[in-house]
Amino acid sequence: MSQLELRDIRKTYTGALDETLKGINIDIASGEFLTLVGPSGCGKSTLMNSIAGLESITGGSIVVNGKDISGMEPKDRDIAMVFQSYALYPTMSVRENIAFGLKIRGMPKEEIRQEVERVADLLQISALLDKKPARLSGGQQQRVAMGRALARRPKIYLFDEPLSNLDAKLRVEMRTEIKKLHQRLRTTIVYVTHDQIEAMTLADRIAVLKDGELQQLGTPKEVYDTPENLFVASFMGSPSMSFIDVEIERAETGLSVTVKGSDGRTLALPVPAYLESWAGKRVVLGIRPEHISQPDDHKADHPMVTSGRFTVEVTEPTGPDVLAVIRLNNKDVQCRLDAEHPVNWGEEADLMFDMRKVVFFDPESEKRIRPQ
Amino acid sequence: MTDVIRTGFRPSRIAIYGVLLLACLVYLIPLIVMLITSFKTPMDIRTGNLLALPTDWTVVGWTKAWSEACTGVQCNGVSGYFWNSFKMTVPAVLISTLLGAFNGYVLSKWKFKGSDLMFGMLLFGCFVPFQVVLLPMAATLGKLGLANTTAGLVLVHVIYGVAFTTLFFRNYYVAIPDALVKAARLDGAGFFTIFFRILLPMSTPIFMVSLIWQFTQIWNDFLFGVVFASGDSQPITVALNNLVNTSTGVKEYNVDMAAAMIAALPTLVVYIVAGKYFIRGLTAGSVKG
Repeated sequence: MSQLELRDIRKTYTGALDETLKGINIDIASGEFLTLVGPSGCGKSTLMNSIAGLESITGGSIVVNGKDISGMEPKDRDIAMVFQSYALYPTMSVRENIAFGLKIRGMPKEEIRQEVERVADLLQISALLDKKPARLSGGQQQRVAMGRALARRPKIYLFDEPLSNLDAKLRVEMRTEIKKLHQRLRTTIVYVTHDQIEAMTLADRIAVLKDGELQQLGTPKEVYDTPENLFVASFMGSPSMSFIDVEIERAETGLSVTVKGSDGRTLALPVPAYLESWAGKRVVLGIRPEHISQPDDHKADHPMVTSGRFTVEVTEPTGPDVLAVIRLNNKDVQCRLDAEHPVNWGEEADLMFDMRKVVFFDPESEKRIRPQ
Repeated sequence: MTDVIRTGFRPSRIAIYGVLLLACLVYLIPLIVMLITSFKTPMDIRTGNLLALPTDWTVVGWTKAWSEACTGVQCNGVSGYFWNSFKMTVPAVLISTLLGAFNGYVLSKWKFKGSDLMFGMLLFGCFVPFQVVLLPMAATLGKLGLANTTAGLVLVHVIYGVAFTTLFFRNYYVAIPDALVKAARLDGAGFFTIFFRILLPMSTPIFMVSLIWQFTQIWNDFLFGVVFASGDSQPITVALNNLVNTSTGVKEYNVDMAAAMIAALPTLVVYIVAGKYFIRGLTAGSVKG
């Protein structure tokens, strides 16, 4: 059980003009599962390599259980890592792969044997122990790579996009496996991914990175429901949040914004009272697909729910529901519709806007406007 | 279905195989002539056709070339020089290959400031003509006290070979994912452990390439052999030259051919034994873990 603190981590590669990491601060509690998520080039892999000690940092400190390990060699940090390419030693059998780190650390033979068997049992790879990695499937190699990390019982586990090389079905299976494993072992895990669904499903907390800066750190629900800025809002969620430029208007019933469909019809949408100070100003309305659906009598009475009629431009059936695109204020907006009540493209449909969970952003700073 | 893939003899097929067979023959004729001539009697050679099989098969040419033929003033055959070549080639091949493997490891997996520049400069070594270094090398060997010794020849060949072997191994190791080295570092392995336990065991194909290449180069070398060795330490290539140039009356073509075959056999054997790795190693980019 180990707790990890990243204090103002900075990294500039030699010869580079820009900082790759611009002062990252994250506290990771013992037993916590943290995912680092961001687009490629955001610095998440650099941060991971820095924690492992494979790359040096130019500023800040990495603290494990109160002890600064920033200057230590990777082998002295007691951190294990699972790589995207698995990085299994091709000339060694599965058993030797798992035992390699233990052997180097001088563990007695008998203990190594027991430890390899314990790990193989845990990951259900006992039957593969004498095979060479090249003879295993992608999923099996993935398990062996995790086994190698588990065998050392390190303080912290790092996962560097471990599922990216697997096909879609296996990826979902292994995702569940990893989650189960974590719930059972309660180890401290830092998990890098560019897949926001992986980040959402696995994490206790998510750290969203962009251009070497931490954009938001929070639980999956916090990051999804209350994104700090436009980047986080657009990055998390699939299909992603739609953004509409609107002006806050003051009406008798309260604040509202007006949206205009492709046929010129308009609809006034109610907005929460905390936007009072923004009346008359332009804001960006962020609305997720599930906030626009077919009318539902249970919700229709709520003051923050309203309905209108819009032309559906495109429909994309996904199975459980249909994604439809409508045009609002000249922007494509995604809606999630019930698959049992199909609409066809080009037709008009009654749509219900649930404004309770929508978010608003300052168009200048691109930050979310928080309730006072 | 069956008539989609036609396997029967069509004129174009016959033409292709005909051309290929002809090319094979053209390449093989010198070897065939050498072989059959080496088994002929001198009489047979004078009267018979160059391509005709021997009327009397005899190994006299071979035994004479091995132990009796004159190479200059001595008449002990090429056997002594054959072993000289082995004593020179085996250590030179092994040392240059191991050094190349180590250089390649450092230049691909432990890059330092200027390592790419250093690799580029090392590559120049592949293009420096042998003649250029003869005089400075002779002076160096003299200062080291290695002039006219097998050890001196080994040193020369190692120095010349390292450029090539480094190139082979560096390019092979570049294609091996860095994650493997990272994983080993996290597992606690150090610089040498990673080299000997992880990378070297993966290197069989390129090891074979380096082995064949270096063996062929060093065994077949004539210039360094003739310049830096004298008398008893000369390699077989030099002895072969002396044997062919030593004229005592009638030219014994069967002995010349047998001696040439003896000089060429080891490289042929090495290629036959390790050849499949050679082809595999040359396409090393596609080698998967």
